Amino acid sequence: MSFSANAPDDPAAVLDAAALARLAELDPQGSAGLLQRVLSTYATALERSRHELLLARRPLQPEPLRHLAHTLKSSSASVGALALSALCAQVESQVRAQPAADIDTLLDAMQAEMHRVAGAVQAMLRV
Amino acid sequence: MLSIDSLGADPSYRPKLLLVDDDEVSLMLIAVALRERGFDVVEAGSGDRALQLLTERPTDAVVLDAMMPGRDGFETCRALRAMPGHEHVPVLMLTGLDDNASISRAFEAGADDFFVKSHQWSLLAGRLHYLLRAAQTRQELERSKAKLARAQDLARMGSFDWRRAGDEQAGSFMLSPEGLRVFGLPPHGALSMHQLLRMVPEDERRVVMRMLRDVLRTSTVLATDVPVTVFDGRPRIVHVEAEPEFNESGYCVGYTGIVQDVTDRRTAEDRIRHLANFDALTGLPNRRQLVWRAERALDAALRAGHQVALLMIDIDRFKVINDTLGHAAGDDLLVEVARRLRGCVRHSDQVMEGTLESQGSRSHRSLEAVGRLGGDEFVALLPEVGSEADAERVAQRVLDTTREPIFVGGQECFVTASVGIALFPRDGATVADLMRNSDVAMYSAKSAGRNAQALYTPHLAGRGREKLELESALHKAIERDELVLHYQPKIDVRAARMVGVEALMRWNRHGTLVPPADFIPLAEETGLIVPLSEWAVREAARQAKAWLVSFGFADSVAVNLPNRLFERSDLVEHIHQAASSYGVPHRAIQLEITETGLMRDLQNVIPSLHRLNEIGVEISIDDFGTGYSSLAYLTTLPISEVKVDRSFVRDLGITPQSSAVVTAIIALARSLGLRVVAEGVETLRQMEVLHRLGCGVMQGYLFSRPMPADDLEAWLKNTILPRRAPWIGQAGTLDVADEARAQTLGR
Repeated sequence: MSFSANAPDDPAAVLDAAALARLAELDPQGSAGLLQRVLSTYATALERSRHELLLARRPLQPEPLRHLAHTLKSSSASVGALALSALCAQVESQVRAQPAADIDTLLDAMQAEMHRVAGAVQAMLRV
Repeated sequence: MLSIDSLGADPSYRPKLLLVDDDEVSLMLIAVALRERGFDVVEAGSGDRALQLLTERPTDAVVLDAMMPGRDGFETCRALRAMPGHEHVPVLMLTGLDDNASISRAFEAGADDFFVKSHQWSLLAGRLHYLLRAAQTRQELERSKAKLARAQDLARMGSFDWRRAGDEQAGSFMLSPEGLRVFGLPPHGALSMHQLLRMVPEDERRVVMRMLRDVLRTSTVLATDVPVTVFDGRPRIVHVEAEPEFNESGYCVGYTGIVQDVTDRRTAEDRIRHLANFDALTGLPNRRQLVWRAERALDAALRAGHQVALLMIDIDRFKVINDTLGHAAGDDLLVEVARRLRGCVRHSDQVMEGTLESQGSRSHRSLEAVGRLGGDEFVALLPEVGSEADAERVAQRVLDTTREPIFVGGQECFVTASVGIALFPRDGATVADLMRNSDVAMYSAKSAGRNAQALYTPHLAGRGREKLELESALHKAIERDELVLHYQPKIDVRAARMVGVEALMRWNRHGTLVPPADFIPLAEETGLIVPLSEWAVREAARQAKAWLVSFGFADSVAVNLPNRLFERSDLVEHIHQAASSYGVPHRAIQLEITETGLMRDLQNVIPSLHRLNEIGVEISIDDFGTGYSSLAYLTTLPISEVKVDRSFVRDLGITPQSSAVVTAIIALARSLGLRVVAEGVETLRQMEVLHRLGCGVMQGYLFSRPMPADDLEAWLKNTILPRRAPWIGQAGTLDVADEARAQTLGR
């Protein structure tokens, strides 16, 4: 997988529509601006996670990595970033099972997906 | 904390949640979703923040993410459980899918429930509501448990659980902390069944053990009071009540129940029972207890075919002792007599109601006792006597022991008793009959001279019953208007004129007139004499007025009053009332008091005499000469008349002493300025002698029998006015006939 930082994907392809719809249900009139607040909170958390991931990889620190993956897993699922959530789950379980194993490939994929999701979220926030 | 009715009852109530998650997105979403569903949510981004918030605001439940950096959910849960007041706050742990390890860790950390993170918000909300309700129920249970413990503590009550030793389990005995306290142990102490039984006094222990075995064998409910000596050495009574518990196959596996210290209650009950059944002064069984015992004794006698004796014991002249030495000394005397009487029988103080039947055929003997009925009346109950001789032996012991000098009120007292004996079944079939008949026998002993015993005989009963009937009839005589006054004129023989009348009471009972001698003593004895006399005074005043109207009667009507009426402070007022309500002067009423009555209680009577005298009521001394009064006393008394007793009049001209007495009386009366009236004059000879001795006013059959009021006017018209009576002729020879005629006609 390769970086394509300057060409964000269509948010609809990155974020699950059904999950977004569920979020919208929580705020049917949109009066509370819930979706906006959730997405911006997620964006901030995602940005922080990207930093933390870089720190946790060099050298590999299983525990922070696992926490990071766990948290990102559920919040990503909440906003419909299902691919990222799945990657996080994979990382989480692998770190728990074999903390010392080489998971660079997986982490690369996770980083790439985080990038994609961040782009998509930014796109949505701009709408 | 949750308030009691916070859930369900008040729909506007929003349970306060603390939501803890390090994932800001989740935190936000869950918070929004739960707020939407009626919860008041506060968010915390970390375990530390959560613990801090818990101390700052009341929280009904905590929703805690399991996986958090730093202090994770499990750690946070453990920490909050350790915080005072949060031991039972419901905690719901959020875990990831399929995270079984987290689930069990959550429970270990003290969480109440878990929820797999998802977007099923309604499920989460439902789960929380359920948790809150469970917490509330639990809290209520805790509260009622605390209340129960408190109540049990106050009631000195505790619970216990006993498991029977079986194939698969050892026996066990558990007492709640309150239960341990009942036995004087600290809350964390321990008491085995064996130790507990050792607390029961040895002789009682066998009984308790036997009862426990019986209860166990039959798997029945246990309810009993057990005496124990608790650890601090105090004797207590513990009430034990327990129900059996059965397993699926119906086998009794143990008992659960309560123990309660009922010592105080039992003490109070015993006290009450004692007060209700024993005389406070002497400690002897009272009437109620005695009747109870006598009834049991009669039952036993009927079954076994033996005799029962009831001895009625009365101290002779106790009233005199009481009056002379004072009530305190009188009480002391009764206590001493009671002590001695107890010694005359095999007195048993306590009769256990329940044990009477179980103790076998001789148990009725424990009923034997001396009791006090009241006043100076005692009763001895002999539950089994072979013959009347047995009873008489006991009676003799009673007489002997009473006769011994008693030291009370600082001096030696000599008292005697009279005893009446009645036997069951010969003298009565019921306790009431036996009491009455022994009483009748006792009275016959008294009238035979006291200090004696008497067996009941049916002959006595006749008299007793007659007396009873008479008494109850006399009670109603006044209200039924059965009483009448008859009048006997007092005659001034020289002047041949009437100078007054004496009113004599008659009882018109079922058409026949009962003479005073047949009911006045009874009236005196029962106190009925007071209303009777008061009625007589009123009636006399009424009659005086009636005669005044019909023929100008202006003399006085003499009414006989017993001395006890003179002791009443309201006598003067009563006479004033009677006189003024009929419009006659006070002097229309004259009062007669017997010499013995007067002398019996002179000090108390004198004030009344003075006051009566002041308002114009004359006092006459009846039956004069029979008493032993110091004649000198008469000089100080405000009296107007003495009436020579009929016994002297009867013997006039027969025995020289009678004329000597009459002469002396007349001389004395003259010197004191008193009028002398001779009573019971029946013959002309008596009249002549009296006249010669200087007595001018007489009363008797010679002149007139007592007669109804309506006959008086006719008598005057037919006898006095025409001067037709034989005695008037005699009187004429006394050279006063003309004067008398002139006076009588002058009216």
